[in-house]
Amino acid sequence: MTVNDKVNILMVDDQPAKLLSYEAILGELGDNLIKAGSGREALEVLLKNDVAVVLMDVSMPELDGFEMAEIIRQHPRFQKTAIIFISAVHLTDIDRLKGYARGAVDYISVPVVPEVLRAKVSVFAELHRKTRQLEALNRGLEQRVLERTEELRQRAELLDLASEAIMVRDLQGNLKFFNTGAETLYGWKREEVIGRNIHELLQTSYPMPIQQIMDNVTQSGRWQGNLVQYSKDGREIVVASRQALKLEEHGSNAVLLEINRDITAQLHAEEALRKAERLAAMGRVAGIIAHEINNPLEAITNAFYLLRDHHSLDEQARMLANMAEEELLRVAHITRQTLSFYRESQQAVMISVARLLDDVLELQSRLLRLNAITLDKKYLTEGAILGFPSDLKQVFLNLVGNAIQAMPEGGRLRVRVANANGNGSRRFGVRVSVCDTGAGIKPEDAKRLFEPFFTTKSAKGTGLGLWISKGIVQKYEGSIRFRSLRMNGRNTTCFSVFLPGLRAADGGESTKVQEAIGSV
Amino acid sequence: MVPSKSIILCVDDEPNALMLRRLVLEKAGYSVVTAPSSAEALRILSNTPVDLVLSDQLMPGGTGTDLARQVKARHPNLPFVIISGVNELPPDSAQADLFLSKVEGPVAMCDKISGVLERFRDQNESA
Repeated sequence: MTVNDKVNILMVDDQPAKLLSYEAILGELGDNLIKAGSGREALEVLLKNDVAVVLMDVSMPELDGFEMAEIIRQHPRFQKTAIIFISAVHLTDIDRLKGYARGAVDYISVPVVPEVLRAKVSVFAELHRKTRQLEALNRGLEQRVLERTEELRQRAELLDLASEAIMVRDLQGNLKFFNTGAETLYGWKREEVIGRNIHELLQTSYPMPIQQIMDNVTQSGRWQGNLVQYSKDGREIVVASRQALKLEEHGSNAVLLEINRDITAQLHAEEALRKAERLAAMGRVAGIIAHEINNPLEAITNAFYLLRDHHSLDEQARMLANMAEEELLRVAHITRQTLSFYRESQQAVMISVARLLDDVLELQSRLLRLNAITLDKKYLTEGAILGFPSDLKQVFLNLVGNAIQAMPEGGRLRVRVANANGNGSRRFGVRVSVCDTGAGIKPEDAKRLFEPFFTTKSAKGTGLGLWISKGIVQKYEGSIRFRSLRMNGRNTTCFSVFLPGLRAADGGESTKVQEAIGSV
Repeated sequence: MVPSKSIILCVDDEPNALMLRRLVLEKAGYSVVTAPSSAEALRILSNTPVDLVLSDQLMPGGTGTDLARQVKARHPNLPFVIISGVNELPPDSAQADLFLSKVEGPVAMCDKISGVLERFRDQNESA
């Protein structure tokens, strides 16, 4: 028996001699014996010590044993404490019942038989010892449960800290777990989705038949790949998904752990980069090809120019030479378009955008008449900016030319020049808009409109006009955009070019210009 | 028509292009001397009076702008025009008095050359 296993036995009697005799009898049990001369003293001991058995004389002055037992029992801690009464007087059965009702567990009559006393006390001491061990074991268990709970809580928190969407579902797809990352990614709240089917909820489209994925998961335990899913508000999300099968302990109820990382933005960035690289490469190729073509083109053009008027040609030969020269002009036009960066004047000069547009419209006046297009132009400013006339002329010629070609059956060409603040910034500049009532731009074409070699005019277009125009406008740190609307069966397509102009600080000049132009 | 026949030195390494350009210029009324390289052009300039140099830009023995710098060093008042198929102006394009694109066509080429000649005639007279 170790020290720790010793229990306390409290002996209560008003006669010290009796206490001594009990001590002698119980000494060999090896437990701690505590003596108390009165009920009060006994209570003090009880409050300070964990007592296994109370051995108590029934008849004591002040508080008798029964009263004492009642007080002891009222204390919640002592409700289970064993009390053995020692009675010198004969107790009736009624008395004994009264004692039991007050918490006695046993009685011993005087004269005390030492073996009987020892036996009875040791039973309760042993019981207490066992109870104590059990309690200690219980506390240990509780502590472990607490620790484990805390561990699980921390793990759950970790799951919620993860930016990935982490979900657990059964093989049919019914959700059992949905972390905070999933809530953020998909916009659904945990309580909205638990128990619902993940496939219906997220409208997942798989890169291969779902059965194939499930086969893979059941065979190897895992699968990974990209999925397209939809958030609660209908946003398309591309996720890198990892799925792992977990067999529950009892076998049949397997669950699937699905961890999804949002790669939508990453994919968009990669796509944009690829596109930019492709455009740059195409631009370089276009430039090189144009240069290689220009050299022989000049020679051929010169040859036909000389041939056209050659005295030896008959009428038919002259006609053929003329046709060849006309076709060569088209080739020259194409390569000139790719030569957008070539500038005739080497120094930027003050340009009036309005005057430039008038030049362009004059050039196109014949086509406007031929196609029965009404011109509606309004210049609210002269649009004085510093630049290269040939560049900007090319941009406007392109926009006006496109507008005219979009209206073979006639229509309305609207041209505006106005002062503007570009792109919501406070930059001062000129905005030119060219609008037509022609065929309109199909939504699927809209994205590619500014790409080189993209054309909606089949063989007639080079696919370079808008690409070059955009390049020129960007050189001016301006912007070009368009809008195509269909309303009441009629299309309106507007291209709008913003060119940064003189700052407001040196705007005195431009105000004067504005007034002069007001009457146009 | 040019009043007194101006003499143009035409430089290009491609014989066909050079010959055709020469014929176009002659048709416009100029006298034309040709050189297949920068070196030959410099040699001709040292012993022949010329009113204007019209040179290609990209040639095996040195670029048109290089040639322009050398010519200007010796004959600062001699107009120098470059005709090229390049996409971007070379960084030293200011060496020439005019940078022409090959796609502008024969008529524009003759017009612009006559413009440069006139400008230089005015300058040289007033000087």
